[in-house]
Amino acid sequence: MTATQHLSSADVQQGEVVAIGSDTYNQVLGFLYREASLLDAISLKEWSALLATDLVYSVPLRQTRPMAQQAASIIRTVQHYHDDYRSIMGRVMRLTGTKSAWAEDPPSRTRRLVTNVQVSTTGVEGELAVVSYLLLTRSRFDSPDLDLISGERRDVLRYVAGELKLARREVILDQAVLGTPNLAIFL
Amino acid sequence: MKQTRNVLADGTSIEDLVKVDTREIQMRALSDHEIYNLEMDRVFGHSWLLLGHESEIPDENDFVVRDMGSDSVIVARGKNGQIHVSLNVCPHRGMKVSTLDAGNTPIHKCIYHGWAFRPNGDFLASPVEKECMHGKMMSKTELGLEQARVTLYGGIIFATWDHEGPSFEEFLGDAKWYFDILFQRSDKGLEVLGPPQRFIVRANWKTAGEQSAADGFHTLTLHRWLGEVGNYAKSGEEGGADLSPEMYGVEVSSPHGHALRCIDLGRKIRKLTGLDPDELSVDQKLEALPPPGVTREMLPQLKRNLSEDQLKVLVSMPPQVGGIFPNVLFAFVYIPQADGSVLGLTLLHAYVPKGPDQLEFVNWILAEKDTPPELKEKMLRQSIQLFGTSGMVEQDDSDTWPHMTVAARGARGRKSTLKYQAIYETSKPAGWPGPGIVNEGFTKDDTQWHWWLHWHELMLANV
Repeated sequence: MTATQHLSSADVQQGEVVAIGSDTYNQVLGFLYREASLLDAISLKEWSALLATDLVYSVPLRQTRPMAQQAASIIRTVQHYHDDYRSIMGRVMRLTGTKSAWAEDPPSRTRRLVTNVQVSTTGVEGELAVVSYLLLTRSRFDSPDLDLISGERRDVLRYVAGELKLARREVILDQAVLGTPNLAIFL
Repeated sequence: MKQTRNVLADGTSIEDLVKVDTREIQMRALSDHEIYNLEMDRVFGHSWLLLGHESEIPDENDFVVRDMGSDSVIVARGKNGQIHVSLNVCPHRGMKVSTLDAGNTPIHKCIYHGWAFRPNGDFLASPVEKECMHGKMMSKTELGLEQARVTLYGGIIFATWDHEGPSFEEFLGDAKWYFDILFQRSDKGLEVLGPPQRFIVRANWKTAGEQSAADGFHTLTLHRWLGEVGNYAKSGEEGGADLSPEMYGVEVSSPHGHALRCIDLGRKIRKLTGLDPDELSVDQKLEALPPPGVTREMLPQLKRNLSEDQLKVLVSMPPQVGGIFPNVLFAFVYIPQADGSVLGLTLLHAYVPKGPDQLEFVNWILAEKDTPPELKEKMLRQSIQLFGTSGMVEQDDSDTWPHMTVAARGARGRKSTLKYQAIYETSKPAGWPGPGIVNEGFTKDDTQWHWWLHWHELMLANV
């Protein structure tokens, strides 16, 4: 196995709980809703403006492991996504700047349902640790079946010049074998 | 009897699914339940199948659960480091013995009635020894998990249910000379960089299988974006969105359905060195562009493990993509980087059949064991960004195969044919040192056609 270490979002120090309904909480909620609507509307350039330039964006693999080994069910060596700002912008460029990104042309019709939002402060001034649930429905072509992608987002949001930006996202998926033919969409 | 076993329920003979004269395949082969069920015995029951890499289970009692065709198997390391592949079906009442993906255990105990098995599949005991819950009609040696025949090749685990069939070497045949260049070139061999990515594509396994048998044509259109943005687009002395220069090379196929696309490194070496590659020695070319996962410090290993002829192919026209019959794709690719350098990547895929209209895409990302950690990390990151689940190249492939599968269900569509009529009229390049069916020039259909011929041969032979 690879000797390299992988930073997990568990390393993000969670401080004080930010109360549900507080101004800060509402700003986070507003950010998540706006982000979801931009992604669902395929406004990818606008979405990318919400990203911090030191973004780390990852989606670990999952494995079926016994109750006593649940930590081992999250795999952070090989992952489904393991990107930084530059590579995410490369993906956005492929989807928006070419005429042949066939995996999303014609595009999927998606809904990102974001719930169960919990916010806390971190050890870093101006940064918030945000955990939320994601249920993403994906419809392609004329199939009546929706691909479902469910998971938990573990984000770090940061105030940059008064605006929230996404600095870290890790999505802990629920499926060990994904039921969608690719992740040509952002989670 | 033989006759009727080769005729489908509607009277179509399996013989007629393949039109040898005109190089056509009846599309029903991509959707038909009956054909699928026969394939599970005749193709998947008689081929060597990729299950993983031994670096996934480094320690005694380590195991992973994988699939051989439509059957789940336990791949476990037993005593003395030996790797065993056992049918993951309890001989008692048919329960799945291991319900996990991976782990380490000296005993695989069925949760239903408690029958217990060793990593080598041996039946250890049923609970309440004195009551002999498993009865007295069969001895313990008869109650073990069914064993597949296993081989390791460059640490890659292959297994087959065909205990009397060809050895793995015979199965690879002439293609082995080329596969050795990829899998047997370093002292310590390859290792996985983690467990495989897994996802479901609603497509027949053969849509992916035949493409892996070196479909060169699809690069031009399906992967056209590579010529529109990024490092291929700007690299061109050719310029623009024209990927056709990438489609020239040498294609190798074999009567066993294996295929390799050997793609010219000349332009890359010229760009890196500013020199005419024809003027450079093998050593100079290796220095200029070492193969995926190999550093300049590791070059002496290549010289120890490969023949001069193999080195010559490796530095000029290396196998970069292709397939191992029936359902494996390999990629040993050289990816241009923004800074003008080249990063090599090493991947293996298995397209596991999950019914006539579904496959599981299993993607292993590998490097040489001796590849330095920083280079491994780079290979891992870029492999994830280009290949597999979210890979910007392969996401277009996995969105294509379902359409073919649906089309093959149509009343007219199933009678339509896949055509493999672009035939090489060249032969091997002058001085080409390798064996096999070899042709040079612009990509053609021959390698995929040979894949189908072997499929046909197995579908007719194993009755």
